[in-house]
Amino acid sequence: MSSTPSQSRTSGHDAGKPVGLSVNGHDLLFPPLPYDIHARADKATADKQLLDFVHVATYRKDVTRKQVTSAAFGDRHGAFRDLGAAIKQHTLDHLDHYLEQFVDNATAAGVKVHFAQNAEQANAICLDIARRAGAKLCVKSKSMVTEETQLLPQLEAMGVETVETDLGEFIIQLDHDAPSHIVTPMIHKNRQSVARAFERELGAPYTEDPQELTQIARAHLREKYRRADLGISGGNFLVAETGSVVICTNEGNGRFCTSAPRVHVAFVGIEKLVPTLEHLGVMLKLLARTSTGQPLTVYTHVMTGPRRAHEHGGPDEMHVILLDNGRTEILKPETREMLRCIRCGACLNACPVYRKVGGHSYGAVYSGPIGALITPMFRGLANYPDLPNASSLCGACYEACPVKINIPKYLIQLRAEMVSRRITKWSDRMMYRMWARSLGRGWTYRLGGWAQKLFFRWQARVAGTLESGDPYRARGWLNDLPGAAGGWTSQRDMPTPPARSFRQWWDEQNRP
Amino acid sequence: MVGRAEQAMSKPSDTSASLGVDRQTFLTPVRQALGRISGQAVPPPPTVDPKLVRLASVSEDVVALFAQRAGEVGMTVCRIKSDELIRTVMGLLEKVGARRVAASVGSLPQAVSLNDSLRRKGVEVVDWRATPGFAEQYGLDAGITDVHAALAETGTLVCSSDAGHSRGLSLVPPVHIAVVRQSDILPDMVDYWARLSGIPGRELPSSQAFITGPSKTADIEGILITGVHGPGQVHILGVEGV
Repeated sequence: MSSTPSQSRTSGHDAGKPVGLSVNGHDLLFPPLPYDIHARADKATADKQLLDFVHVATYRKDVTRKQVTSAAFGDRHGAFRDLGAAIKQHTLDHLDHYLEQFVDNATAAGVKVHFAQNAEQANAICLDIARRAGAKLCVKSKSMVTEETQLLPQLEAMGVETVETDLGEFIIQLDHDAPSHIVTPMIHKNRQSVARAFERELGAPYTEDPQELTQIARAHLREKYRRADLGISGGNFLVAETGSVVICTNEGNGRFCTSAPRVHVAFVGIEKLVPTLEHLGVMLKLLARTSTGQPLTVYTHVMTGPRRAHEHGGPDEMHVILLDNGRTEILKPETREMLRCIRCGACLNACPVYRKVGGHSYGAVYSGPIGALITPMFRGLANYPDLPNASSLCGACYEACPVKINIPKYLIQLRAEMVSRRITKWSDRMMYRMWARSLGRGWTYRLGGWAQKLFFRWQARVAGTLESGDPYRARGWLNDLPGAAGGWTSQRDMPTPPARSFRQWWDEQNRP
Repeated sequence: MVGRAEQAMSKPSDTSASLGVDRQTFLTPVRQALGRISGQAVPPPPTVDPKLVRLASVSEDVVALFAQRAGEVGMTVCRIKSDELIRTVMGLLEKVGARRVAASVGSLPQAVSLNDSLRRKGVEVVDWRATPGFAEQYGLDAGITDVHAALAETGTLVCSSDAGHSRGLSLVPPVHIAVVRQSDILPDMVDYWARLSGIPGRELPSSQAFITGPSKTADIEGILITGVHGPGQVHILGVEGV
């Protein structure tokens, strides 16, 4: 997928978002609103290579998750997920208390804690820190929150060269693309595109060998760590009891970004809190196994304050920017459960819809089933009317979720809200109302079934498939229905109803 | 929702020179969404039942389990006797072709003799304390460290920062040699948290790194590559009987 030229956004809903700056890949995550999923989903489903990559990667991870969690937890897996869910739920239910505790303890450990109600404030705080530090070069590890606040272009605009250091994010930055998976950001890209980006942007010799490509990135980024005066990270967890920030990474860039520069700034959403280190341990046991099938990520970095006087290495200043940016809206009792999410990506990997359309189809920072829930909550249901419907409600996401977020239930809740607020199209609401009515009475149901049968059999006769000699075709498969029914047959064939319905057959069998 | 008295209670230092909002302004919508008032009591958090969360029991052969799990995540494990340490380190350095190294193994009785022996064999031993930050460490071929703990259940090394330990030696050089004594090995992460229980955050090390394997990525087409930013090789020397 290529990025399109930046357009001014129309909605008043996300007034908290910074505006104006043209960002590479920006429109992939911040499309004009209201967002219509169809153009991108159609493009994605037509892209065979993209489909292969996304499907293979997500399928493999989904299988690994099932194997690894069952080997590690055995019959305790359910109880483990219950405990993970209970820990996050308890923390959210008393979030004010744990935020206060975190701020007190982090401050005591030497951290400067900042409070940002929206993206603008969070970015302004960070720019101010960069200015005071006289920062020229910033190294950044992966953070979904800084995608949310669109920090990078603002740092660049004030003259701070900012480099993404997670290999996937680094490539995405070079290629002016946008991440499409919470955990594996460049799941949609192939090695050729990496090779071309390195050749074009870094002047590296063209190679398609992943090992060599990785070494090119390593050498390039080492120089950045050496010179960087500002490091930015996200945070997977905050520990209230100790004031610690925890990041879970595999490459080591997270440790570099939080240790090599003189100043470290962590951007963290308020939902990331856990009460104690003991509770952190439970979440860590779940996170990596569910996310990538590892027992723990290679580096789990627990940071508690800046470098102590007696320590060598580590930042002299550590800042934590606590971000609300719409989270307190979701914190209301009806939707609070959604904030338990620990961004493991398991629901994306398990989702049959994500596997077919890829992350960019969701038109937002957070994709997949959890994105279909929180994106409309963050940016307005009317702005993302397709997302709650972009699910078959099969429940695979719920089953995969380590903190048991009942995603299907909330998708239905959002759909109901769309109907009651009349966001759903008039024609759709009418159609479903008629459907519901006809299902409610015996004679209307029979009438509807009879009319449907006549229509489909007539269509089959027109198409000439009912008379065909081919045994498969003789069943009367329809593959090109007109009007609204065409949406179904554009992707799959539909069998013609048989001349005698099940109800007729049943009545005949049970005739006295 | 928030009364004046509570606002007055908040610490002014929290909000000095920040472009965001002050603490109480920030917490007001949180409390509104929760229907709570400031200072309202909080029930105890969910109990973490060790019977549920402990995945490796105390009775297990933790040394064998640690060696197995560390191997599974891609680290090499070599079990040695205490008096074989210096010879084994020399052998490893030779194998990986390391000429320039730094060590921080203060917890081991061989700490001093190790550096001397390495120098005698012509290995350049760098004093990583000489300059602040990682400056001295970028040019190293290998970092040699002891560990603050090792977790058998996941095959994890815990490397923390303190006066004798840089954050960098287990991260910056391309090869990390970790010396793990039998007494360092804990069965499960649960045991490590129990050890920290009651220590306030300000007294913890600024950095505790839980290392479970060599630096890894699978970002390019899902193909596993080691040595992205951190060390591509982690060699563990398990010292028996200490």
